[in-house]
Amino acid sequence: MSLSEYVASRWDTLSLAAAEHALVVAIAIGIATLAGVGIGLVTHRVPRASNASLAVSAGILTIPSLALLTLLIPITGLGWTSTLVALTAYALLPIIRNTVVGLRGVDRATVEAGRGMGMSRVRVLMKVQLPLAWPLILTGIRVSTQMLIGIAAIAAFVDGPGLGTQIFEGLSRLGSVNSLNATLAGTFGIVIVALLFDLFFSVVRHLTTPRGLRVRN
Amino acid sequence: MFETDTGGAQIQLRALTKQFPGQAEPAVDSVDLDIPAGELVAFVGPSGCGKTTTMKMINRLVEPTSGEIRIGGEDVLALPPDELRRHIGYVIQQIGLFPHLTIGENVGLVPKLLGWDRPKAEARTEDLLALVNLEPGEYRDRYPRQLSGGQQQRVGVARALAADPPVMLMDEPFGATDPITREHLQNEFLKLQKDLRKTIIFVTHDFEEAIKLGDRIAVLRNQSHIAQYDTPANILANPADDYVASFIGADATLKRLALMTVDEVPTEGPPDPALPQVETGTSLREALDLMVANGTDRCSSPAGVLSYTALCASIGREEVAAGDR
Repeated sequence: MSLSEYVASRWDTLSLAAAEHALVVAIAIGIATLAGVGIGLVTHRVPRASNASLAVSAGILTIPSLALLTLLIPITGLGWTSTLVALTAYALLPIIRNTVVGLRGVDRATVEAGRGMGMSRVRVLMKVQLPLAWPLILTGIRVSTQMLIGIAAIAAFVDGPGLGTQIFEGLSRLGSVNSLNATLAGTFGIVIVALLFDLFFSVVRHLTTPRGLRVRN
Repeated sequence: MFETDTGGAQIQLRALTKQFPGQAEPAVDSVDLDIPAGELVAFVGPSGCGKTTTMKMINRLVEPTSGEIRIGGEDVLALPPDELRRHIGYVIQQIGLFPHLTIGENVGLVPKLLGWDRPKAEARTEDLLALVNLEPGEYRDRYPRQLSGGQQQRVGVARALAADPPVMLMDEPFGATDPITREHLQNEFLKLQKDLRKTIIFVTHDFEEAIKLGDRIAVLRNQSHIAQYDTPANILANPADDYVASFIGADATLKRLALMTVDEVPTEGPPDPALPQVETGTSLREALDLMVANGTDRCSSPAGVLSYTALCASIGREEVAAGDR
């Protein structure tokens, strides 16, 4: 059976796996964005706090994904929960880092002008610094997403959702019928999911970057 | 918020002191200063002398360590800082426009903070843009990055004026612009201030600018100690000490001449078409320049003939002038 015939015959399974793959990444990114941007907003003015949060999230990133997923089995069991926890943890670093760098990078004069006009600190943060830092934060989210799509494949190891199952199954019975097809279908599926996410972020970036930051003389 | 009888409100500083943590000496040490309503006072001094810190204590971007600030008699330190700042215009050298907001939104921000309704805020924005010579229809919907530095600084001034504050604080507002634009902005600003009569504190390290714009000048030395506080003409005529004199430079008399116009000098006889001509309102410095350039000791204004001797007399230098001849 050729790859295309394999894909056609397993379309239901494959499309469901791809959708689950995208969904688990999307949920993890959603949670990590809320948490990461939140942590960045709270800690960016205190170097000690933001450095600590960056160190912790960088530390998480150094744990191999397979190891982290295994460590999670006794706590959150097999399946979705472990996958989500691991993915969210991995996604934090780029998001926190870009949030902190973005918020700190806003021109001091702009912040001072805002304060001098009688905007409260919180208002300056939400209405001035956050919009100006947003393109950089979005880049962090995008990097995290690409990273998670790859890591999510490994989640099949803890019986997680997604296309990883196809790859692992194929690899484990390599040489037998359709084993290579399964592996390839899983791999290409992941590439397509990654491309679709990237396309999505291009559109989001275009729609959410303040117009004043895009215009040029 | 503040009681005013002109466009501006009186500012009083009493024993105003700022001690930053970890520093041996206070950055600002017990400053006493009265700034009359509607006047522009220039703070002049070298960098690091505490002039900006002194200014920033007035809108409490820097909290004073001790001392008292009153605007229109009201104790500033008893007011909520954010509310206070909405009633004090603030212009800085780097301008600090919000790049993600349109020019109109930038100018309309304080009215919005003050809860003005939309039509009122929009009308105010249009008036202000027109006031600083930016055609509202053309500029309102553009973004700061689409404007030149000079145009951005005008928006900065318009933004500071938005809520019609009685007091404006300006920190080297024209310092970052090129000399031609700067002079243009200064002239425009002088004209504006003539109508508005705000009380303005204007920080600069440029003594020429202080002479040109200031109703009074406070020459500051380290820790914001006031070396001299007087009108530009008096400071030029009688510098309090060598420190003040060093700020003025070698051409104090020429600078004084620049502050007076030909209309202030008694004429000698009717206008003479044969002499070099000056217009009404020309500064004495320009008139002198014209005489030197033409090798004459007289020129003629519409009011009459103006002589070198009369010019010297007008700034109290008759003896020397007579001795020269």
